[in-house]
Amino acid sequence: MAVQQVHKKPMTVSSRFRKLGHGIFQNRWLYLLILPALVYLIIFNYLPMYGVQIAFKDYKAVRGIVGSPWTSMNGFKHFITFFQAYYFGRLIGNTLLLNVLGLLFSFPLPIFLAIVVNNIRGQRLKKFTQTAIYVPHFISTVVLAGILYILLSPTNGIINHLIVALGGKSIYFMNEAAWFRPVYIISGIWQNAGWDSILYIAALAGVDPELYEAATIDGANKWQKVRYIDLPHIIPTATMMLILNSGSLLSSSTQKALLLQTGGNLATSDIIGTYVYTMGLGSGQFSYTAAIGLFVNVVNFILVLSTNKISAKMNGETLF
Amino acid sequence: MTAIPHNEMKPMKQKDIRADRLFNVFIGIMVAVVLLITLYPIYLVIICSFSEPALVTSGQVTLYPRGLTLVGYNAVFQNRELIHSFFNSVVYTVVGTVLSLVVTMGAAFTLSRKFPGKKLISFVFAFTMFFNGGLIPTFLTIRDVGLYDKPWVCILMGCVSVWNVMLARTYITSTIPEALYEAADLDGASQIQYFFRIVVPLSGTIIAVLSVYYGVAKWNDYWTGLIYIQTRSFLPLQTILKEILASLEASRELLMSMVSDTAQQDAELLNRAQIAKYCIIVVSTAPAVVLYLCMQKFFVKGVMIGSIKG
Repeated sequence: MAVQQVHKKPMTVSSRFRKLGHGIFQNRWLYLLILPALVYLIIFNYLPMYGVQIAFKDYKAVRGIVGSPWTSMNGFKHFITFFQAYYFGRLIGNTLLLNVLGLLFSFPLPIFLAIVVNNIRGQRLKKFTQTAIYVPHFISTVVLAGILYILLSPTNGIINHLIVALGGKSIYFMNEAAWFRPVYIISGIWQNAGWDSILYIAALAGVDPELYEAATIDGANKWQKVRYIDLPHIIPTATMMLILNSGSLLSSSTQKALLLQTGGNLATSDIIGTYVYTMGLGSGQFSYTAAIGLFVNVVNFILVLSTNKISAKMNGETLF
Repeated sequence: MTAIPHNEMKPMKQKDIRADRLFNVFIGIMVAVVLLITLYPIYLVIICSFSEPALVTSGQVTLYPRGLTLVGYNAVFQNRELIHSFFNSVVYTVVGTVLSLVVTMGAAFTLSRKFPGKKLISFVFAFTMFFNGGLIPTFLTIRDVGLYDKPWVCILMGCVSVWNVMLARTYITSTIPEALYEAADLDGASQIQYFFRIVVPLSGTIIAVLSVYYGVAKWNDYWTGLIYIQTRSFLPLQTILKEILASLEASRELLMSMVSDTAQQDAELLNRAQIAKYCIIVVSTAPAVVLYLCMQKFFVKGVMIGSIKG
């Protein structure tokens, strides 16, 4: 154990450095323990941020990220091309609509689920239900998409068998633009509503049981307890989640959209993320798609910071 | 609330008793509906995977397996590329998760202590949650550092989730008392000894939760394979599954790999390919769900910690 140095005289510059050096030496193991994570973040997060400069350049493979020449229009050529492209409106519209509708429809359900779970009386049934509703969250996006393709198949999918049996006409769900958003959003709800209810279940678990007892004494029935005890306890969490979620309205959930994208539904499924993937990695337009990606990231950055501010003002606390 | 004599309570009105009964019935129905919607698709896939292909594709298998058979599973286990990628994924997941746990716990412990430069390092961590380089610059960087088309990229990608680091740090600061550190310090233990002998053994719950988070994320990741791997024999399971399951023309892929059985009629073969998809879904999803169910008892506690703000 190193001996703690005691400074009685006012510190000189050199002694301040010595103290810092001593502090660093004393904590050398801490630095060692955090080093691997730091190296990871530098390579996988910060180097790409440095590489963002290709958005302002014309990327040439032989000259690399740093050596490629800057574009015209002060480096903003690709951004301006994107803003003026005829598909600009469609991409932004599709991305926003998918996210706004998704948020709107998938937001209330976890709250409802939490209230239902909280009011199950048998402990075993409660536990079983809780375990069961989390399960879909552990199914991979690829498998979820696979299940959708199978169950919604126009020729041998169970849903269409049912529609035909009821006298309807078979629907090609996965290949019609009108069905992309419903399929995307409903399957998302199926997969994540249970998992998202965890936060609210935790909030309800924190309710003081005395409140329920007091309400019983006052003659409240169970509907009233939900209305006057459960809901008020959930609302702060819900508001914060709503605000924070709306901070990511332009961040496209590329991985799933790409799997559900088909030739027939491009009119609605063509979102920013899938476009960057197809044009960037598929057609090799690195600089142009990097510029689109950067544009989205900057908008998101601003959205997240401002929603975080709003949440701080409303609840006096931030997520980060 | 300490005992209140029964007679002091307001007697419930008849109307309220009926309202309470109605509420219980309502909750009961909702639980049934929720469980049905959640579990039926999963159940359907499982029973179809064991049923006669022709009966499945004509929509006659709905409540229980019919014409029990394992032809679908046979086809799956004969597909060598699929089996190979399954083992790739096992290796990526096991190695990747262990690595993630070590790196995450180390970083979380450090961030739970006080040391010179903590503010700067915390900022470096937190900033990555707000901003990233985006797909293309990340792709070019990974290529430049020489990880493109190397199996390592599947292990390293996503190795550190800053969110998980924060979760683990909150767990450490809120469950391990500072007095333990002072005692260990007095006994002459170094920080690294304290980490391995005290912090890690006391962090069982959060390590269990993190291993599910990291393990499932790794197992279910198709994106890394799609973007960064070219050599087919390096591909993880999910990327192969994308080709087999997730497109309109998907069944043909499987068909090709199953023509070993030459005596079959085309229609029959197509049905089999269809059924094999159900089996693939079961085989590929089981590991993640089983891992979750095994670790499930840790979740309540882990989740509560997660909802405490650090």
